[in-house]
Amino acid sequence: MNATVAGITYRAVLGRRRILLLVLLPLALLGLALLLRLVGSADERTAVLLMQKFVIGTMLPLLGLIAGTGVIAPEIDDGTVIHLLSKPISRPVIAVTKFAVAASLLVLFAAVPTYLAAWILIRTESGVAPGFALGALVAGIAYSAVFLFLGVVTKHAVAIGVVYALVWEGLVGSLVPGARKFSIQQWAQTIADQLATSPFVETDVTLGFAVPALVIVTVGAVLLTGRRLRAFSLTGED
Amino acid sequence: MSEPASGVIHDIGYRHYDGPRLGSWYATRALFVYSLRAAFGFGRTARAKIMPFGLATVMLLPAVVSIAMMALLKERGMPYPGFFVYMQAILSIFVASQSPALVAPDLRHRVLPLYLSRPVGVPQYAGAKLAAMTLAVFLVIGVPLTLVYAGELLIDLEGPPQTGEYLAALTTGLCLALLLSAFGLTIASLTPRRGLGVASVIAVYLLLLAVSGVLVGTFESIGSGTAAAWSYLINPFFLLDAVRVALFGGESASGQYPDGPGPVLLTAALVALGVAALFLRYRKAAAK
Repeated sequence: MNATVAGITYRAVLGRRRILLLVLLPLALLGLALLLRLVGSADERTAVLLMQKFVIGTMLPLLGLIAGTGVIAPEIDDGTVIHLLSKPISRPVIAVTKFAVAASLLVLFAAVPTYLAAWILIRTESGVAPGFALGALVAGIAYSAVFLFLGVVTKHAVAIGVVYALVWEGLVGSLVPGARKFSIQQWAQTIADQLATSPFVETDVTLGFAVPALVIVTVGAVLLTGRRLRAFSLTGED
Repeated sequence: MSEPASGVIHDIGYRHYDGPRLGSWYATRALFVYSLRAAFGFGRTARAKIMPFGLATVMLLPAVVSIAMMALLKERGMPYPGFFVYMQAILSIFVASQSPALVAPDLRHRVLPLYLSRPVGVPQYAGAKLAAMTLAVFLVIGVPLTLVYAGELLIDLEGPPQTGEYLAALTTGLCLALLLSAFGLTIASLTPRRGLGVASVIAVYLLLLAVSGVLVGTFESIGSGTAAAWSYLINPFFLLDAVRVALFGGESASGQYPDGPGPVLLTAALVALGVAALFLRYRKAAAK
């Protein structure tokens, strides 16, 4: 961890238009929760539907994408990353710092609003709020690591990340049951199911698979990012 | 010192251009062709072609399966009207990943003043980009539909060919392409960064998709049919499907849409809004 690098990264991510996107999605989530509460359909089924469709299915991959690639991809894009890499800071430390920044952003913009939205709907009934907040937390951390790695591997990180989140986890996951085992969203649901006792939460992946998978993916992606940065070459535009 | 002949200093021997001047329309057409090529990655590296061609190929898969079903099993596969509704994830990824390819480089390298110092004005520039993106999206929707229709004509199934359904799907597909392109380009042109542009466009689509899904589910569960019907229309793909049902009749690709001209008027208003936003955005970008 390097405080200076972290500070610069925070400023780069939060000081630009990117923050609008980071704020937009949690605000939409809270708005939906309030609306559902006012319409008077704030029951457990609705809350779980909102959590699964909006939080796990939409907000988490998008925020992970925006924060995970946002901490490093713009610098690589305009070549200013060379100033960072030429400093006497170990490259794995840079990778870990960038990852920590992205993960902290996801805690703030994904896990906290998730808890609030579930709390607005059904308070702490049958553990939906803490369960999905925990699920959003671990999945957010995993997403930020994966998309950070994607950001240093390719310049088309965002497009590829969107394809992974939408096509693999959305389309293929709903058609081919086996693909669900390799989906961060499903792992998040498994984690959420541990605290939530609601009968509406169904999982396909066992805890014994989800936890090691999450750890391996997160740690692996950060380590690979560090390795990749150690022998990094700036290539031309497009 | 002798007096130099007047005008000598300025006449340094360059030849004047006295060929035909092709004018604004020609320049706009050139920009349109260039942008259309950029939408599919022509004239760029091989890596820039992977995404558009990969997505276009995925769009062709249902058509290929459908033709195979017609040829081997003698039954219809994919219905024409539901095509773009089922493929909405692929289509929105296409719009998200390719809109920044059209608008981001010019903003990023600040070459907009160079374009606008030519006979191309802001309306022509924005219009050419919009037309190119619309045609690109329309090709991605229309080519698979046309393939299936051609297959249907060749294979000679029982009953008359579904020409009406095919034309209805093509027409609404064109409106959908215009709607998606107008908003996709406007959102993408807010940032000179390609990655952020892709993320913004897809974020807006996913937001609409999820809000629509959650609201429909909730309103249906509390038995509020009208509200649920309108909630479908938050998703642009269902909106255009509702337009098709309103204009051409036929089955809805999902649930019940609101009756009457509501969807058509809403679509017209949204298209006008999107196009106006794009032109205003470029008027502001050109002033910088």
